[in-house]
Amino acid sequence: MAGVTVPRISFWRTFWSNAVFAPRTSLGFMRVDFVLGTIFVIPLTQMVFFAFVVKLAMTGSVAYTALGNAVATVTYSSVFSVCQTTDSEKQQGTMEHLLVSPANRFALYIGRGLLPILISLATVSVGLVYAALLFGVPIAASAIPSLAVSVVLTAFAMVGFGLLLGGVALYLRTSIILGNIFLFVGLLLSGVNFPTSALPAPLRYAGDALPLTWGLAAIRASVANGPISSVGLLWVAVGLSAAISFGAAIGLWKVFERRALTTGSIARF
Amino acid sequence: MTANAPAQYSGRRSTVAALRLSLLGFMADPQWLIPSMIAPVIFGLVSFELFQGSGPYFLIYAILGAGMMSMWGQTLYGSGWATGQDREFGTLEPTIQAPSPYVYVVLGRVLWNVVSGLLGGLIVLGVVIAAAGYPPAIPNPVGFAVLFVFVMLTLAAVGVVFAAFYVYTRYAGFIQNIGEFAFYVGTGCMFPVVLLPFWTNPIALIFPPTWALDALRYLAIPGYQGFSWGFGWDLLGAVGTTAVYLAIAGTVFHRVERHVLEVGNLSDY
Repeated sequence: MAGVTVPRISFWRTFWSNAVFAPRTSLGFMRVDFVLGTIFVIPLTQMVFFAFVVKLAMTGSVAYTALGNAVATVTYSSVFSVCQTTDSEKQQGTMEHLLVSPANRFALYIGRGLLPILISLATVSVGLVYAALLFGVPIAASAIPSLAVSVVLTAFAMVGFGLLLGGVALYLRTSIILGNIFLFVGLLLSGVNFPTSALPAPLRYAGDALPLTWGLAAIRASVANGPISSVGLLWVAVGLSAAISFGAAIGLWKVFERRALTTGSIARF
Repeated sequence: MTANAPAQYSGRRSTVAALRLSLLGFMADPQWLIPSMIAPVIFGLVSFELFQGSGPYFLIYAILGAGMMSMWGQTLYGSGWATGQDREFGTLEPTIQAPSPYVYVVLGRVLWNVVSGLLGGLIVLGVVIAAAGYPPAIPNPVGFAVLFVFVMLTLAAVGVVFAAFYVYTRYAGFIQNIGEFAFYVGTGCMFPVVLLPFWTNPIALIFPPTWALDALRYLAIPGYQGFSWGFGWDLLGAVGTTAVYLAIAGTVFHRVERHVLEVGNLSDY
């Protein structure tokens, strides 16, 4: 065969090697102490902060806010950290190698997302425990299976969204600004501290575009022990937002990869 | 001049040079003001939404809280992170072994961070007022403005102490990220510290901004119920703790400098 032979690399090998190596390379900033702080400290302090704001305002429900923030802290590991991997690649000078690699992109991204997905699951779970034990959020034992499904779907959707932002960040000088925006914007637009119905229509529509809005709605419905028909619809919405995020992330990376290979400059930091 | 003659330096010149360098760094890339403002703007808007219907003076809580967060971002992050940046750029060793004490260099950076913190605080204030649609009713605007600047100086004092300790540790970013909400809660940036459980109050009073913010609220909010000792003692406490922090910073910087020069392990990063 004439020309260049592109080596075939197995999907699972790409997936697994990325899942194993990402914590040491592009996710290297997520050290154990950082991860433990993200899982155990941030949810507690964020929930306490907003619980006291609500207590001072005397207009909202502490339980509502606590549950919202328990879930919202997932953005630290799923959105902010995943988004920063692009900066890591650029800083470490590995972006060019990644862009010319023949590895299956879907396997690559899912593999890299494995650790953030696990940390996101742990963060939301710990947050929900805090919500139940410290803020009086009633979680019935019968609600736990439905809650587990909602939490897993939310973690997947949020990491997909983080990868999508990482794709956008490829084109930017730094992902910090983007990461910071989407780290906190859910607090305003996703019904974390007050229902989205209190927002003006344009902001409500913007909130609907965020996976956190649907994930949080699913988790609230599960905690309320809602009928499976209504929770199921929200699961579909979360699943859809996950699929769109992962699909858009891969599409975006393909576009920017092509531009990077054409211009030879996009991977610069 | 013999080889062993004591090195000459000018503290003022070192501080002005550090201030100038910080200003030039900012002018070269002013986008770095944005990340530290995103969270305060969002938190200010969330708090404004939660405080709606709570009374005419609750807008001041939202503005003060958000402004304080922005100042935390610029002043404390900036001051503390300066050492981390030196470490990353490889300029920490040359700076510390220069004849001019490191504290003068940090002082220059802190002065710039106070100015940019004020700028960030004013922008946040503008956004929250724009969202509210009306300016807050402040009985003593001049006193408010003076105390607002003083709150920033108290934050800068904390920043200088942090900067001194960050010479020793590579965990500056970790401490600031994980401890961010804890600091917001502990200093009562969005609500009076007296709302917290009583056992937390002595811990909160270790930080100068706790005193200064309580004094600022006494000045700005008629009928405010903060610490029972009132405005005068709050102010005195803020001045006293700030002086203690600055004294600690001076001592710590002196010892840290001597220690790292003795053991020669600064580059162990």
